[in-house]
Amino acid sequence: MESVWVDLLVAVIKILVILGIALGLGAYLTWVERKVAAHIQRRPGPMVVGWHGLLQPIADGLKLITKEDLFPRYGNRFLYNLALVMALVPATLVFAVIPFGPEFEVFGYRVKPILTDVNVGILLVFGLGSLAVYAIALAGWASNSKYPLIGSMRKAGIIISYEVAITFAVMGPLILAGTLSTYQIVQNQIEQNLWYIWVQPVAFVVYMFSLLAETGRVPFDIQEAEAELVTGFTVEYGGMKFGLFPLVEWYIEVLTLSAIAVVLFLGGWSPLNIPFVGFVDPLFFLGPLSPYAWFLLKVTALFLFILWLHWTLPRYRIDQITEIAWKIMLPLALLNIVITSLIAPFIWD
Amino acid sequence: MDYIAFLIFFGVMVGIALVFVSLNWLFGPKTPQEYEDYPYECGVPLYDKSAQTTFHQGYYLLGLLLLLFDIEAAFLFPWTIVYRYLGVFGFIEMFLFILILTYGLLYAWRKGALNWQFEMEEI
Repeated sequence: MESVWVDLLVAVIKILVILGIALGLGAYLTWVERKVAAHIQRRPGPMVVGWHGLLQPIADGLKLITKEDLFPRYGNRFLYNLALVMALVPATLVFAVIPFGPEFEVFGYRVKPILTDVNVGILLVFGLGSLAVYAIALAGWASNSKYPLIGSMRKAGIIISYEVAITFAVMGPLILAGTLSTYQIVQNQIEQNLWYIWVQPVAFVVYMFSLLAETGRVPFDIQEAEAELVTGFTVEYGGMKFGLFPLVEWYIEVLTLSAIAVVLFLGGWSPLNIPFVGFVDPLFFLGPLSPYAWFLLKVTALFLFILWLHWTLPRYRIDQITEIAWKIMLPLALLNIVITSLIAPFIWD
Repeated sequence: MDYIAFLIFFGVMVGIALVFVSLNWLFGPKTPQEYEDYPYECGVPLYDKSAQTTFHQGYYLLGLLLLLFDIEAAFLFPWTIVYRYLGVFGFIEMFLFILILTYGLLYAWRKGALNWQFEMEEI
């Protein structure tokens, strides 16, 4: 009986940590993004509120909260609000299966730094990821206004096109790992002395394309298209309701999908890898904290890479985006599965 | 037990989402004006009060394609996990499956279903 209470306590602590990461860090990533964007465009970015604009996210949040609660008059109020819940909840729930580091012991009690190490982790990630379509389709439909509807249709079309490519792309690493549990996938990479990116470069490229498309980052952000659609499906949302959509799409989803990419391709919390030989850890002086530092470093690197793309590239047209998904990414991913299943026996041993 | 933590997290997140939805209603000003809730249409009166009429058929086609290929993905996921224990038999079986799948993709490609569906312009 006692161990149940301990389990519950551990779960609650983990949930609090995840909430801190998802909402606190999510809010502060707006500041990071604005600074990076500003420096890419050779301007200082937010400088007024706090030292180098460090209090800017709080000021923005206060401003968004104190706006009037507006609702488009011909819309459907229930679906309009449901879209917000459907956007935030599944995107954040993905954090439940992200392993932040190896198992450790506190007071003689073994704790894994992952909320639930379920044996269908990756399936859960993509199941929850598919729910994002509903949020966007509902947001556009319930607003009952032309621009949101066009924007949400475009975004839904993009997501469902890349959904297929991403599910076939992750099957490569899954064949090599032989498990769906995110924690176990990282363990297997450490045991096999191999980051899966070395043997799955094609799958990684397809995954990154799909990541950009599903989160609406730049080469695929036609659903926003400020110039023609004035930010697409969020047109009729105001105040904090408006703030929630970019928070979820641009920060929480990019964070979770980058973390899953790190788990699948970049060896999770393991240090630098020399294929088939072993691991080199330049951060050994951090001791037991080094795995967490590595995980953080890899996710940060992927996040900054996505920001770099976002503020450098122009955008594709909708027909180009969907045709890339079906004509290039899907055949590549299928070919990758066949080749992976051929080379897999050499990697298992 | 694994899923109990997940369910707690789900409950907490739904609560937070509801708080986010009601924040503006709680803290925002309430000064109704005549046209503040008018749907956005570049400042001109609406031609049509409802926008929920028709949408481009290309999206419908994408939905159909998604149905086809995502069901195949559901078949492939269990195979990826047990492939290690199936040996040559598992490889040949799945190779045939992927071959048929690719044939379906090529058929859709040939039929032009993968192209974006532009509307015919009448001159």
